[in-house]
Amino acid sequence: MTVQTAGMARAEIDRARAGAIGDRVFRGLTFLFALLVLLILGGVIAALMIGAWPALHTFGLGFVATQVWNPVTQQFGALASIYGTLVTSAVAMLIGIPVAAGVAVFITEICPIWLKRPLATMIELLAAIPSIIYGIWGLFVFAPFVQQYIQPAIIATLGNLPGIGALFAGPPLGIGVLTAGFILAIMVLPFISSIMRDVFETVPPMIKESAYGLGATRAEVVWRVVLPYTRAGVIGGIMLGLGRALGETMAVTFVIGNAHHISVSILQPGTTISASLANEFTEAVGDLYRSSLIALGLILFIITFIVLAMAKFMLLRLQQRSGG
Amino acid sequence: MSLSPLATQPTVSATMAPHSAAAARPKVEIRHLDFYYGANHALKDISLLLQDKSVTAFIGPSGCGKSTLLRVLNRIYELYPGQRATGEVLVDGENILAPGLDLNLLRAKIGMVFQKPTPFPMSIRDNIAFGIRLYEKLPQSELDDRIEQALRRAALWDEVKDKLKQSGLSLSGGQQQRLCIARAIAVRPEILLLDEPASALDPISTQRIEELIDELKPDFCIAIVTHNMQQAARCSNYTAFMYLGELVEFDETETIFTHPKERRTEDYITGRFG
Amino acid sequence: MGIYARRRLTNLLVMGLSIAATGFGLVWLILVLWTLLSEGVSALSPALFSQMTPPPGSSGGLLNAIFGSVVITLIATAIGTPTGVLAGTFLAEYSRRSRFGEVVRFINDILLSAPSIIVGLFVYVILVVPMGHFSAWAGAVALAIIVIPVVVRTTEDMLNLVPNALREAACALGAPRWRVIVTVCYRAAVQGMLTGVILAVARIAGETAPLLFTALNNQFWSTDLNAPMANLPVVIFQFAMSPYSDWQALAWGGALLITIAVLCLNIGARLLASWSTFKP
Repeated sequence: MTVQTAGMARAEIDRARAGAIGDRVFRGLTFLFALLVLLILGGVIAALMIGAWPALHTFGLGFVATQVWNPVTQQFGALASIYGTLVTSAVAMLIGIPVAAGVAVFITEICPIWLKRPLATMIELLAAIPSIIYGIWGLFVFAPFVQQYIQPAIIATLGNLPGIGALFAGPPLGIGVLTAGFILAIMVLPFISSIMRDVFETVPPMIKESAYGLGATRAEVVWRVVLPYTRAGVIGGIMLGLGRALGETMAVTFVIGNAHHISVSILQPGTTISASLANEFTEAVGDLYRSSLIALGLILFIITFIVLAMAKFMLLRLQQRSGG
Repeated sequence: MSLSPLATQPTVSATMAPHSAAAARPKVEIRHLDFYYGANHALKDISLLLQDKSVTAFIGPSGCGKSTLLRVLNRIYELYPGQRATGEVLVDGENILAPGLDLNLLRAKIGMVFQKPTPFPMSIRDNIAFGIRLYEKLPQSELDDRIEQALRRAALWDEVKDKLKQSGLSLSGGQQQRLCIARAIAVRPEILLLDEPASALDPISTQRIEELIDELKPDFCIAIVTHNMQQAARCSNYTAFMYLGELVEFDETETIFTHPKERRTEDYITGRFG
Repeated sequence: MGIYARRRLTNLLVMGLSIAATGFGLVWLILVLWTLLSEGVSALSPALFSQMTPPPGSSGGLLNAIFGSVVITLIATAIGTPTGVLAGTFLAEYSRRSRFGEVVRFINDILLSAPSIIVGLFVYVILVVPMGHFSAWAGAVALAIIVIPVVVRTTEDMLNLVPNALREAACALGAPRWRVIVTVCYRAAVQGMLTGVILAVARIAGETAPLLFTALNNQFWSTDLNAPMANLPVVIFQFAMSPYSDWQALAWGGALLITIAVLCLNIGARLLASWSTFKP
């Protein structure tokens, strides 16, 4: 060992020790912040439960079974909000999923090459537009339009059918559950479509080529090869979209009508959990009122948690499948 | 080379000549080394010597364990849980497999160059300075000198002296690999581990690397893993032939390639398998 | 009809339907953008950027709202980014396979898609109630909670893309682990991580719900972070729901501003992502 390296030994060892301490500190730091993520979720659940406790304690399980919502008599029930959340999301999914699938199929199978990238990019940019834009568009443009033309037409035709006609009854107000559901559909469809497109593109070209090589038509390749292969991912994407729709606030608040009332007709106003919160929280007077609203939030959180957990599970299955 | 300031140098072995010629005492002595990837027994009872100021080549078919063996020498396998080594590896008489050894210090003394060039995402200058700065506080002019020295020894100086500030990623494959070699020797290690350094390069770059190894030989103890038998024959003083995790034969290169003692060695050399 | 003819017809039908679906979807989306442009542009004027939000019935601008949005967004990013980067680093570098890491990843994905109004409610309970009043801080914290999962995800993904050989090369020189991560891995992944941060900012720029019960709104100019602060999304919400046409016009103007900002950020992120990693 030369003199130079011998002299360096001491300093090096000090440096190495410092490095080891640095390692422990850094690792501890990153661990702390990872723990913070857990704590945030834990905090959300705890805060919601604490805030909702007065209402849940007062009303018990009956809270989710009644639609009465009367700040004056201090009687609150979540049923109307839950119903509205579920129905608007259902409408959004019913309209949104087929359209999103159509767009995804178009981009991956039919679209000319030069159009693919720009169209896909455009759809992704549309998914980034804040939901309040859809909300005010719905309020100022869509709802009046629906009130003037669409709803009268629906009432006149479908409203007169026996049985399901009750679903489409009522005065044309423009706003309402159907309108809100439709706007939700438009808002959520770029999101679902992007996920579907990503998932469709994970299909190895060789599998598709094998099918084409046997003489299958494009529709058959999509139906029998692409969809089965990506089934878990598509369902996962749909559930992510559903999670989004359930929790969406601004797109529906403007046009849902804020009526804590369950009507058979989807042309009538209603309310969703997030719309109730947005519309009423800052003006809620009284602890019970506020607590009831927080209880609504807790219910929404539980619903979306379940949906998201299932979505994650599905997407995990797709990852394992494609070896990613 | 001592890694624990309190350890005393072990007694001189009986075969050592009084004037302690470096060639007499091996730089690295591997004794009964076993290595496991989880339950997979990848290296079986390996024992051999690496002499200082010479090149030892490791050859053998894919999966025989030569890269694994190399990676034991700087304990880089410790990055991955489930991989472990048993046995002894003595570097200058000190067992580097001992627990409690400071790995960072160990690796500052043993340089490694990988199969694919791995320039850091920084300027050429910073790439070389990275290792130096870890353990030495040098004034700017001295740092610049060290960088120039390293690049000259790696036969890269003339090509990059005007663009030291450019990203290391902007160089060609052969240049990147020489950059990695420069980076490794800039910290003045005593041992150099080269894991198939030229396998990802074109023939001309490969030749440059081989010439480089020859130039570096007088100052380092070099261990090189190679797929290319002709390269091993050209560059090395000693060769070890490995097969399926075992050391089949270890001898001077000339002997291995002209009259190998083992049948399997001969089969491999003549291309009958692998 | 023969089998083959029927198959061809089915194919035509399905393809036609998907073209129709694309047209249908695009039509509505373009309608939304068109309305936004036409209504919003007419509200654009110098006054928009120089005057405060007016009381109902008079004209004014959105200056305090714009300022408030920028401030709250910046603070949220400043809080959320380091948190997200460090947590993501832990997931990528120290817990590739550990149970704890998997749990954190799962929880992070839940937070990523959680309804933003719930986040607002959470911050209301933990900050606004104890403080006794609404504040810009609370708003920033709520938005930070939305930023964190996004940054955690992209940081982890980008760090996972850094090849192990690079880590080994740095370790082989004797660098301690933290040095390897900070000076080599971060540098290699910086482009992707930055893209993630920009996308996170784009996301919170348009969020209304989390601010409804935290930062609330402020009719006047305010730089007090401890008080309610005006911000574009809540102003738009309030003004659009109102019956005053002045206010509604301003709402459209604000909506256009937000949309332009969000689109610019998204496009910027894309450009950054596709930029070559080579900087010779």
